[in-house]
Amino acid sequence: MPREAEPSINDRAFLLQALQENIRLDGRALDAYRHLDISFGDDYGVADVRLGKTRVLTRISASITAPRPDRKFDGIFTITTELSPLASPAFESGRQSDLETHLSRILETSLRRSQALSTESLCLVAGQKVWALRADIHVLDYDGGLIDACCLSTLTALRHYRIPDASVKGGDLTVYTPVERDPVPLALLHHPVCVTLNFFESGEKWLVDATLMEQQCSEGEIVVAANPQGEVCLVQKGGGGEVDALVLLRCVEVAMGKVRELGKAMDGALAKDAKRRDKGGMSRELRAENER
Amino acid sequence: MAAQTLVLPGEAIPSDILPIPSNPSLALKLGPGLRHVPPSTITSVLAGSLCIDQKKNSIWVENNSGRYIPQPNDLVLAIVHHSSTDWYHCAITPHTTLAQLPQLAFEGATKKTRPQLNSGSLIYARVLSASKHTDPELACCNPSTGKSEGMGELKGGMVFDVSLGMARRLLLARQREEGGLVVLEEIAEKVAFEVAVGRNGKVWVKSGGVKETLLVGRALQETDREGLGVEEQGRLVKKLLRGI
Amino acid sequence: MANITLSPLYRADGSAKYSKAGYSVIAAVSGPIEVQRRDELPEEAAVDIAVRPAAGVGGLRERHLESIIQNTLRRVILVSAHPRSLIQFTLQIVTSPEDGTVTGNLPQAASNLPVLPALLQASILALISTSIPLSMTLTATLVAVNSNDTLIPDPSVQQIKLASSIHVLAFSSHGELLVVESEGDFTMDTWEEVYQKAKLICHGEEEYKGESESEDMSMNSEDVSNLENVLKDAVERKIAKSQRWKESMG
Repeated sequence: MPREAEPSINDRAFLLQALQENIRLDGRALDAYRHLDISFGDDYGVADVRLGKTRVLTRISASITAPRPDRKFDGIFTITTELSPLASPAFESGRQSDLETHLSRILETSLRRSQALSTESLCLVAGQKVWALRADIHVLDYDGGLIDACCLSTLTALRHYRIPDASVKGGDLTVYTPVERDPVPLALLHHPVCVTLNFFESGEKWLVDATLMEQQCSEGEIVVAANPQGEVCLVQKGGGGEVDALVLLRCVEVAMGKVRELGKAMDGALAKDAKRRDKGGMSRELRAENER
Repeated sequence: MAAQTLVLPGEAIPSDILPIPSNPSLALKLGPGLRHVPPSTITSVLAGSLCIDQKKNSIWVENNSGRYIPQPNDLVLAIVHHSSTDWYHCAITPHTTLAQLPQLAFEGATKKTRPQLNSGSLIYARVLSASKHTDPELACCNPSTGKSEGMGELKGGMVFDVSLGMARRLLLARQREEGGLVVLEEIAEKVAFEVAVGRNGKVWVKSGGVKETLLVGRALQETDREGLGVEEQGRLVKKLLRGI
Repeated sequence: MANITLSPLYRADGSAKYSKAGYSVIAAVSGPIEVQRRDELPEEAAVDIAVRPAAGVGGLRERHLESIIQNTLRRVILVSAHPRSLIQFTLQIVTSPEDGTVTGNLPQAASNLPVLPALLQASILALISTSIPLSMTLTATLVAVNSNDTLIPDPSVQQIKLASSIHVLAFSSHGELLVVESEGDFTMDTWEEVYQKAKLICHGEEEYKGESESEDMSMNSEDVSNLENVLKDAVERKIAKSQRWKESMG
């Protein structure tokens, strides 16, 4: 089974030596993210997030199905992550790796279980018809920071997505095509973002947004998911190394700052795209929501 | 200077542009990217620019992408993966079959004095033999003289990735004249450092401090990425030197 | 118009993005790399293809496409140059025009074929970007025939739905037919016309141009540059970029 190539003894020692002098190999500050670029396709609900050399593309799609019998009023929302050799030859297609399981668990908790998306709003006819929304996450390039990039990409895609408008009259469901009625945005309750920190020197030193090599040399990591309002949705520590409780608190605090930073970048990118689409400035008047 | 034209895979090279040998008995040398289809057709198998050297009576396709394929006599930077009784098994590029390095292929190595390399050690070695049917074999000394010639385990420092074309240029005997590279010379005027260039697109750099090592590595990577010319390299080095 | 980006990805040995007529595909190639024992071939490189849909998980449709592409590429790649190794393709469909129409089911095209030309083009470009030895390059196109026997190159989703038959043809750089996949009802004469048309689009054959003027001028005039030239242009730009340093040497 292929595995990611380990850095040599020399590289590892050099990286740690540099960290002792508070220098990162790419010249970033310890608490700085790599260059973040968020772009959108022509379709709604496709977000392409580039974080340095890491690149993740998420596509949201919707279909109508019957709800689960025990949750008659809730729509269905699934997130699929499949790591393919596209991102790194170490990934095998059609076979779930530990990294993939880890990734999907964190996304599950931070985005789905934190009720970022109101699944009740996806209900069309109670007990019979609901929207099944799926987020397909395609990792195109992998150089660390996978969790942060995937979470950001999925959330941006959700915020960008427009679901077809539908109405129910006397039990009959009508789904309108985009020509008949403008599709509507999803009901998102809050915007949680993941921030990963990696530890070095037995938890003494930490850094934000590690590259793959930094990740391979680190002793452990902590993932914090929170929304820009300051509500923490998830804290998870992995990798085995010991970390002092106070350092952990400090990390959460740093992560909060980063969450706001990423949130702003996301708002900016979405606003820019909305402007690009709204050529004649008419979208406000034409929007179906206004009628209600 | 060699003449250049773009070729795509599968194109037949017209016989009138082939170099004319000074002596009719001299065989035409086909470099990388070309193949001979009997009886007398030469076709390209890669995309790149076709280079012709009239003096050496040789012709080849130059390009700068893809994965490194070991060729005999190339100098490479490899990482020891594991060792067995008589061999070190080394990775030249990730996810390919490991190359074999005899434990006695070091300068002055005997059964008792051979170097002990752990997995993850970095070595500078020459490809002794490589063919498509066998695993490549490495050596850390010149087999005819037994001298190390700078090869062996590299201690300290850091490895930077560059493109295969850049590695090729760095290994030219006359970097400035043939490869248009002055970046290392320019830095060497101000900072002392050591480098070892592997044909597999890796450059090992070691200098007095972390900052200096990173400066050399970054200068090389940026020159490579942006395709900087001689003057631009000078400006880049000045800019980077100001940083420390 | 086709849009080509060579080597957009960092990690893969070679990659390419190809967009045309609403389809957009990213192809990545790793190779030659170590092959698993069970797939190892003693005399040639194993070629592995994975087609990944934009939404949902791959199914029968993707497996079918994979087998067509694998059979084609094994002819194009000089597989004997790298025996006992693996050349691994991942073809990620990024957008396809069917996605825009939310109907109530997961976007599933009625036909497998419309995306095939984009997949083939993306793979050959990625191969060029990887510098794997090839015996030739290829170009592929889609032609639909509607009920009154008009040929429509690069048809839209709606046109495909109404077409009586659709055809995917790929030609090698030597002008030979490499792939032909057809669906629907058509006569041999229609197929012959489709063949000529596709050859013109891919390969731009001079002799045919004169003949075409009398038949159907409006279609040809928009596609003056044939696909092969488009491909060559993209490669030329990439190579010029990698040799920028030579300019300053004079």
